[in-house]
Amino acid sequence: MLFRVPGVPGRAVCAWWLLLLLGCWAAPANAQSASCALSLSGRISDHERRESLAGATVVVLETQQATQTEADGHYHLELCPGTYHVQVSFVGFASETAVLQVGAAVVRDFKLHPDAIVLQGAVVQGQHVTAPSPQPTATLSGQALQQTRGQALGEALQKISGVTAIQTGPSIFKPMIHGLHSNRVTILNNGVRQEGQQWGQEHGPEIDPFIASQLTVVKGAASVRYGSDAIGGVVLVEPKPLRDSVGTGGELQLVGMSNNGLGAASGTVEGNLRRLPALSWRAQGTAKRAGTMRAPGYYLKNSGFSEYDFSGALGWHKDTYGVEVFYSRFSTKLGILPAAHAESPTDLYAAIARQRPLETTSFNYDINRAYQQVRHDLLKATGFVKTGSIGRLQATVAQQVDYRNEYDLYDARNDDRAARNRPALSYTNRTTTGELLWEHKPLGHFSGSVGLAGTYQANRYASGTKGFIPYYNNTVGGAFAIERWQKQKWQVEAGVRADYRYLATRRAARELRDSVSVFYVDRQQFTYLTPAASLGAIYDATPHLSLSLTTSLTQRAPAVNERFSDGVHNAQYELGYDLVPGNGALHPETAYHTALTATWHDNPRFNGELTVYQTSIQGFIYQQPILPPVINIRGTLISWQYFQTNATLRGLDLGATYGLTPHWTLAGKATVVRGRDTKADQWQVYMPADRAELSVRYEAPEAASPRLTQRYVHLTGYAVARQTRVPADYASKDYALPPAGYALLGLETGATVHWGRLPLEVSVAGSNLLTQRYRDYLNRYRYFADEMGRNVTLRVRIPLEFGGASH
Amino acid sequence: MSNFLFRPAFLALLASSALFTACKDDNDDPTPDDDNEQITTVTYTLTPQGGGTPLSIQYRDPDGDGGVAGTITPATLVLAPNTTYTGSLALLDETKTPAENTSAEILEEGDEHLFVFSPTGVNLTITATDKDKNNLPIGLSSTAVTGAANATGTTGSLKITLRHQPETKDGTATPGSTDAEVTFPTLVR
Repeated sequence: MLFRVPGVPGRAVCAWWLLLLLGCWAAPANAQSASCALSLSGRISDHERRESLAGATVVVLETQQATQTEADGHYHLELCPGTYHVQVSFVGFASETAVLQVGAAVVRDFKLHPDAIVLQGAVVQGQHVTAPSPQPTATLSGQALQQTRGQALGEALQKISGVTAIQTGPSIFKPMIHGLHSNRVTILNNGVRQEGQQWGQEHGPEIDPFIASQLTVVKGAASVRYGSDAIGGVVLVEPKPLRDSVGTGGELQLVGMSNNGLGAASGTVEGNLRRLPALSWRAQGTAKRAGTMRAPGYYLKNSGFSEYDFSGALGWHKDTYGVEVFYSRFSTKLGILPAAHAESPTDLYAAIARQRPLETTSFNYDINRAYQQVRHDLLKATGFVKTGSIGRLQATVAQQVDYRNEYDLYDARNDDRAARNRPALSYTNRTTTGELLWEHKPLGHFSGSVGLAGTYQANRYASGTKGFIPYYNNTVGGAFAIERWQKQKWQVEAGVRADYRYLATRRAARELRDSVSVFYVDRQQFTYLTPAASLGAIYDATPHLSLSLTTSLTQRAPAVNERFSDGVHNAQYELGYDLVPGNGALHPETAYHTALTATWHDNPRFNGELTVYQTSIQGFIYQQPILPPVINIRGTLISWQYFQTNATLRGLDLGATYGLTPHWTLAGKATVVRGRDTKADQWQVYMPADRAELSVRYEAPEAASPRLTQRYVHLTGYAVARQTRVPADYASKDYALPPAGYALLGLETGATVHWGRLPLEVSVAGSNLLTQRYRDYLNRYRYFADEMGRNVTLRVRIPLEFGGASH
Repeated sequence: MSNFLFRPAFLALLASSALFTACKDDNDDPTPDDDNEQITTVTYTLTPQGGGTPLSIQYRDPDGDGGVAGTITPATLVLAPNTTYTGSLALLDETKTPAENTSAEILEEGDEHLFVFSPTGVNLTITATDKDKNNLPIGLSSTAVTGAANATGTTGSLKITLRHQPETKDGTATPGSTDAEVTFPTLVR
């Protein structure tokens, strides 16, 4: 239902706007009539009731194009590239105006507030809209993110199809995207590459997920923009932008879990000063404590953990420039299962064969030896400047320090040493990162950016402790350019990048001289120049169907842990590739990635997304158990070693929803990954098994009573198959065969409870309701213990608005 | 336009990156892991009670975890049949300079440690003769009694395990965890 406000010829204004925009660029403005077919679409809904608003008016102020929303609240307009003020109005609701940069097809949803609730200024400031990428991207925000509160980052991300986790016990999850993880997945914490100590599967990302208002996963190689490590994908942990309307507000989130007695509280306070509207601030903190986890039938000894985090941000924002400083600290202490401490080979195999660990416990919050203690500090400063003629220039510098102490099961025998109570491993990793990004003004059909990125990292361990990872200094410099061409229904994106890496390692070593053990330092230097390139396209076949294709090439230099891991930690033995006699140096791996995504969106009933992909990696670096287990004088240890081969990973991710009635929705998700070792012509180890999820959601019609709104019930069935695609003769290659498949049942219900003036979002979620006893192939504890039994989680979110709000 | 005001701030931001990188001395070298206890050497010495030359067997991995694997010398402990020996264990950490006497520390914390002797395929019985303060065996000193000789061409083994049992020691092998475990090929001939 498209109509024009009479009197203003839309095209002419469009051309004027373009001319204005392109200002000093003598760009050909005559192409506008052909390119004015960029789709602006979205859905208008009631912010309070989340119902679609039919018949709402959408007006583009500059062109005076206008339309009304369809019965499902959906609208669709076609525009020329440019920046527009889009006003949305509906009787009984406060109008909103948004500034939109339209460089490509834009999907923008509006949530209108009923007039009764007075808004503090109805102008929604223009946000920096990033154009859609041809790469498959998925986002967790709003209620979907709310449903994961209290979980670890890697656990929460498993809601996204194609994302699984490689796990160590109940508290350590590393995100795995399309079968790739650890060194191949880049995590950006508030725009800064997270540089923790990704040295083992038992090192989870040191990030408080409560910081994020949105978690985005870019599936597949995104190395041109984010650096050569991003072969598997990127996880973006994004806080809300700082408050831009005058006032002070915040929120409080409370989570309680029945299974392990987890209690979490996270609070945010933020404000914007009336006298200095450019200045905004935010303070945030989280406390989390969990006791022993209960597997069906027993408590898992020493599985408790605690976590205390805080962050603060201060920003100064004007239209043409802005500066922001952000500081965060994450600190956690987590227990390690004693069953992982194995003894003779017989004992080890007996422990693996046992239905449940020999030592169990009653419920408690104690964290005993062995445990990990981790702290991560991040200080970031970022600034941007926008000029009409040049574009947008942004600089970011960040310093992060990661401290990791690991305490062994028993303290030292020597009294002096025991009194010092030093951890067995004590690491400090300091990283400075900097990035300069220039987004040039759109030039005709082209928009794009050029950037420089640098990293300097120094890794040390406390003198006197074990050198599991050597001392190293790592210097990386990279340059990249991404250019996007956009015309009508087509968008093409191409990018190139080069990274130079200088790595110097100093490894503590011993050798026998005349049968006497002599200490020496092994110094080595490596330099790498790794290229990356990508080409992708999006085709908006119809307003409801988009197709995108992306291809890329990435080379990744091997990381220090892949080369030089050496020794025992948390009762597992790990050995880097370079230290295996006769191996020589690990060489970089080269990945060729292709993905095709079809998205059908904004349909009244049936919406979904299908991604199929292939990643071929020459020189694929992976870790695999080695058998027989390494026996040293401490006993028998589950042992791992790094190998290099060629591998091809193929798979598909499917997600779809179907609206049965206005109140009932059916949703399904499926993830399939096939990994082949093409050198040995066999299946690749540690690929996620096939999995699928089916859910039904009922959203109750709003009752007459305004006390309870947005009531819903959500029933979920989640099934994971046994991983049968493993290398031949697998029993001789791993300590246990992949565990049986499992199915889990979950039920969640929630509502917004209007308590006085506070709308409390309350939900109760039960997981593993049938107390299924199961183990997962990608959990390192699977050798010894089952996964969590039934768990009921209570979540409450309390939005806060302090003085300044005129309710 | 406050661009003029801003430009110095922007430059300052860029310049501050230099401050960030000003770090500690990044050219330092790692030092030996003196706080990390290892048991690199286990020697079991057996002296015939009726007199005669003492026998001994040793496991030795002087470079500690990783690196070159440990070795056992001699390859096999060969004992005489129907003989009673006085046994003594000596444990060292040779990754320290000078080498650390681990057996002395074990004796000091005798109430937390227990040596378990497990002969297999050999007629050998070993009994700890030393006691901790709770009158439970330790095993640094022992008596070894051999029986009949092994059948020709067969070799048994003697597994010696050091169990660490803080606050749980009850004289049996079950509680606690293993600090050290070596298996010596053993034969009565």
